[in-house]
Amino acid sequence: MTIRDTIRRAGRSLRQAKARTLLTSLAISVGAFTVTVALAAGAGGQAYTNDLIKNNGDANSLSVFAQTDQDDSAPKEYGEGSKASDPGMLNDDDLKTIKAIDNVDEVTPLYNISAMYMTRDATSKKYETTVNIKADRTEIPLAAGTLKNNEVGKGDVVVAEEYLESLGFKSAAEAIGKTITVRFEKSSLVPGQKAETLDKTFKIAAVNKKTSTVLRYEEALTISTADGKSIHDFQSAGQAKNNSYYGVTVRVAENADVKATQTAIENAGYTVFSLQDLQTALFQFIDVVQYGAAGFGFLAILASIFGIINTQYISVLERTQQIGLMKALGARRKDVGRLFRYEAAWVGFLGGIIGTGLALLTNLLNPWIASSMELEKGTELLKFEPLTSVILVVSLMVIAVVAGYFPARKAAKLDPIEALRTE
Amino acid sequence: MIEVKNVTKTYGKKHNKFTALNDVSFTIPDGASVAILGKSGSGKSTLMHAMSGLDRPEAGEVIIDGKDILKLKTRQIDAFRSHKMSFIFQSFFVQANESCYDNVSLPLEIANVSPRTRGKKIEAALSAVELADKKKSRARDLSGGQKQRLAIARAIVNDPKVLFADEPTGNLDSVTGDVIEKLLFDYAKNHKATLIIVTHDAELAAKCDMQIHIKDGKIESITQPKGAK
Repeated sequence: MTIRDTIRRAGRSLRQAKARTLLTSLAISVGAFTVTVALAAGAGGQAYTNDLIKNNGDANSLSVFAQTDQDDSAPKEYGEGSKASDPGMLNDDDLKTIKAIDNVDEVTPLYNISAMYMTRDATSKKYETTVNIKADRTEIPLAAGTLKNNEVGKGDVVVAEEYLESLGFKSAAEAIGKTITVRFEKSSLVPGQKAETLDKTFKIAAVNKKTSTVLRYEEALTISTADGKSIHDFQSAGQAKNNSYYGVTVRVAENADVKATQTAIENAGYTVFSLQDLQTALFQFIDVVQYGAAGFGFLAILASIFGIINTQYISVLERTQQIGLMKALGARRKDVGRLFRYEAAWVGFLGGIIGTGLALLTNLLNPWIASSMELEKGTELLKFEPLTSVILVVSLMVIAVVAGYFPARKAAKLDPIEALRTE
Repeated sequence: MIEVKNVTKTYGKKHNKFTALNDVSFTIPDGASVAILGKSGSGKSTLMHAMSGLDRPEAGEVIIDGKDILKLKTRQIDAFRSHKMSFIFQSFFVQANESCYDNVSLPLEIANVSPRTRGKKIEAALSAVELADKKKSRARDLSGGQKQRLAIARAIVNDPKVLFADEPTGNLDSVTGDVIEKLLFDYAKNHKATLIIVTHDAELAAKCDMQIHIKDGKIESITQPKGAK
């Protein structure tokens, strides 16, 4: 018998026992459903976490600070060699040391600058504002505009969505390309003296917005490191701590081992924070949840295997005559065994299709899940991948065939003379 | 020509040993119709099973077309049965849930006949038994006589050279039985096929060229056809 004929006959036999076929398939579909949803939740969770990571930091960036006293030692006794404490500041020498480490592309100090006000032009109202410097390539969610390589260009500024109305823009798109002026004041050590000021005009390159994936959102203006440095130099000119910084942002070369670079910087005597630590921890957590749920699915599939075996044994008993007739007509053992194995495969296929089909329906729940968890609109915590479903259905067919092995063997071994004895 | 030489078949072991066939020998010329007669338990069914290779006797030879089928491998006997032989049973054994067409298609599928030529053969077989109009009907909706006609269509669809019929009219009334008998004899005559009928119906046996009487596993008497050696 050809494979095509066998598949057709197998399908027909199942149609003749519709209720039994459906019930057995449903048992498998419970497992298929659970596994599919678990995998989808895992994929969705990972995608969401990835967004979360991207919007809050840059995997290739490391935050480096001076080493703090954390070696569990007792405090040093004060003596002649002691210096006045200088907690957590880095200077230009540190920058050079860090820059010299392998795979360190850029070292940007964390400049601390403060603005007096921002305004559209001389006649407009003035508003207070915070000015941040974008030193890493964190992907920030934008309401309008674009940022090449997630960096702010020199002379450009990213404006918080909340500022738009006050600045007189009707929409985020309208603000792009327009300019705003920010006034900075020189830090003065002499009280009462009128401080020097600096007016800087920026072109609005983008408007950033708050989303559920941004953990720490600040209504602010964001400018480039180049502008940040010049403003910092202006504000802090003449101060004692001219060239000292709270920390630096290190950009690791693309494709380089971030972890190894982090260790190298730590060994050079600095404290390093990286996003990868957080990412690894979050992914591990998602994996545990995902595999846990999928595990229950696999248990359900395991239970359904016994259902398949049982159904197939009953089917062999019911069709003893048919098997006997086929053998009398010259069907080989192989043909008969194959017929029953294909029937099992059909059952597995049906179960897989029903299970994944129902699971795909839960896709419709995504908007509800997003809104009930107060996530960004359009967030999909269940992410279905077609390939996974295909692999699952195929595996279920294989599992069903394996489960149907013993009933099929029983059918193949049946003695036609016994099978055709009627009385 | 079918030659059966010294075939012995026993069931059970030692004390429970039962000899179903005891040193049976005979020859059937090509195209003959043969009746194997005997009471139930006489060994006539066992003889049919041995001749078709469904059963394997301990001793003896069954030579069909010069080949001892008892020496063939299982796979070869299966192929032999699917291409050269066919069966008709007392209880029809048609697949009740399948259409007449699919019932008749089964032997062709088993014999790996290409799907293109199947259609014609099936139609021809169904026409021969006057069931062409029931092609799409399910076998369970047929009467007893129609079921046996369907079984005959299934048996003749692949042009077998040897047709075994095990009590073909046993479950039918005499009028329907006559129709079935006619179909069987007509097929054998038109296709020069050997027809072997296992029966205890003396009237049916009388219509055959040759009668083999079996009792307790032994041949009691053989009525040879005219012109045979």
